[in-house]
Amino acid sequence: MSTETAGGERESRRSGPLVRVTRWMENLSDTTYAYLLLLPVFVLLGSIAIYPLLRTFEMSLFAQTFTGLGEFVGPGNYVDLFTGNMDRYLPGQPTFLPQSYGVEGLVTSALTMTLLFAFVSVFFETIIGMGQALILDQDFYGRRWIRAAIIIPWAVPVVIQGMMFYLMFQPSIGFLTPPLADLGLLAPTNTLNDPASATFVIIVADIWKTSAFMALLILAGLQSIDRGLYDVAKVAGASKWQQFKHITFPLILPTIAVAVLFRSVAAMRVYGIIDIVSSCTVVPSLSCMVVESFFSGFNAAAGTIAFTTAAIIGLVVMSLILWQGEEAI
Amino acid sequence: MATIDDTDEPDGPLNRWVQRAIEDPERVYRALFYTAMIFFMVTTLFPFYWLLVLAVTPNSEIIGGGFIPEIELFGATVPFPLPVPQGFNPGAFVDVFREIPFHLYMLNSFALAVTTTIIVLVVASLAGYVFGRLEFPGRAVLMLAILAISYFPPAAFVVPLYDIFAGNAVNIPFTDVALFQSIELLNTPGSMVLPFSALFMPLSIFILTTFYGQIPDGLEDAARVEGTTRLGALFRVIMPLSAPGVATAAVLTFISVYNEYFFSSIMATSPQAGNWSPLVGGILSYQTQYTTSFNLMAAASVVGVLPMLILVVVAQERIVSGLTSGALKE
Repeated sequence: MSTETAGGERESRRSGPLVRVTRWMENLSDTTYAYLLLLPVFVLLGSIAIYPLLRTFEMSLFAQTFTGLGEFVGPGNYVDLFTGNMDRYLPGQPTFLPQSYGVEGLVTSALTMTLLFAFVSVFFETIIGMGQALILDQDFYGRRWIRAAIIIPWAVPVVIQGMMFYLMFQPSIGFLTPPLADLGLLAPTNTLNDPASATFVIIVADIWKTSAFMALLILAGLQSIDRGLYDVAKVAGASKWQQFKHITFPLILPTIAVAVLFRSVAAMRVYGIIDIVSSCTVVPSLSCMVVESFFSGFNAAAGTIAFTTAAIIGLVVMSLILWQGEEAI
Repeated sequence: MATIDDTDEPDGPLNRWVQRAIEDPERVYRALFYTAMIFFMVTTLFPFYWLLVLAVTPNSEIIGGGFIPEIELFGATVPFPLPVPQGFNPGAFVDVFREIPFHLYMLNSFALAVTTTIIVLVVASLAGYVFGRLEFPGRAVLMLAILAISYFPPAAFVVPLYDIFAGNAVNIPFTDVALFQSIELLNTPGSMVLPFSALFMPLSIFILTTFYGQIPDGLEDAARVEGTTRLGALFRVIMPLSAPGVATAAVLTFISVYNEYFFSSIMATSPQAGNWSPLVGGILSYQTQYTTSFNLMAAASVVGVLPMLILVVVAQERIVSGLTSGALKE
């Protein structure tokens, strides 16, 4: 930019808009310069995240009618949401809170279904991810290929993951449905339109895809353990199981705890896999409810659920950040 | 199973193995290790195998089922543990491109992914440089804010974004004052690239912050003394020196965009390749328009997932390092 002085002219004498901007930038203080470079990030996140979030909140403060947005009602919609008065604007069977505490009640209500999904899938992902991480932590021939095979599900597009499980459990072709129906886990017919069965399939699909992600996080924790500890344990005559129980597990527990919490927050955003394998009117996750009620024209209902979701996730993330403090950076 | 008799030398392969395992516990762990490894291999790779089986089976045979043949084993009829194709019809892989222009959907996905990756790399590089190399008031707070935003659900943004991209006015929140009239972006790359960039930028910022922060100050100072501008030092010295970090951020952003579902399905309102509908639209067309062509759905999925399989094998190291270094901050 200013290395060559074309025409023998001195750099400091050159002019033109580019040179002027460059010179102005060179003379900024560090703080001003930092904020200048962060400007594109602010503009992007401000317009794509913060502005819509505020508008969503604004929308949630107006009454929902079947014809559109009504009067300003303040927090009324949130009261309606938690007392069940909003349910008539939700599509199909779903409610926001369970009306009964049977299996059907839990999986046809948006909040409990989402929490149930997050809890069950993250629980199994952690256990399977731990197993995979322990395998990848070993040295063996062909480790690179095994690792690639374990990561692959993570890189599969959601829409194709959905097709895989749709084609595995679609009752007219899926060979997995009859045996699992015999065990009583799935409905034998119309499987993917049965809330409990569809939730089961969706949880399995999520576990398949995301265990690898947990495995990589846990693997990073495993590899930070001082190998010397195992030598000491071996000399002391500890078995492999004792080594795991007294060295490995306690040392990776903090890593696992943080990974589990962040992963649970991410799991609460579930939408795509439901849309492909089943449908949002059958399995109502929170994100599903937002999209469905929005496309039914119920903007206030959509805004209320969206902001409630954001608030729940925001609270969890904020408390995590406060708990982790500077380490999170 | 053989019964244990009174002699010291047990017979039967299982008993011999147990005897040796008791003498040498290492064998048990090794056996466990290989069992677990094979189990994980089978469970992760099986869905791909199932797609292949469906794709090469002629569609007329699929509805009939019977993918698990009975085989004769030691005189007893038992089901074979793996489904096998019923017939062989590789033509499905050609039909996938003939029924709908599936290659165009994939090209759209590539174009969106490349554009988003470039935007993210430039913007995240600026931010990564600031967070990694400059000290200024508000640094920690801003990083936490970006981390927090990255965890918000896309559903919290989608309704107002859809309104704006549909060409409605942009109002100052909580007032009726219109700032400006938006141009219609639905069914254009803009309506997807903008949300993708915002969604996937935080991860790249954290990865690049780590990498840029590790470049010694001396190198930057030397470049500055040589007469490079401040921005020049970033793009001509720091960025090339952090090539692995930049590659990591690029690969992860590309994969994330290619795999994204939420905005891809909502912002491309009609699943037509001419309207910039990405991979999602192509595959969903098979699910909604060709509801019984299960072989085509499977074949389309196989074709669609191939680029990701290649990328994982080629860029494995980058993915692992990126996910483990920036993952908790994703």
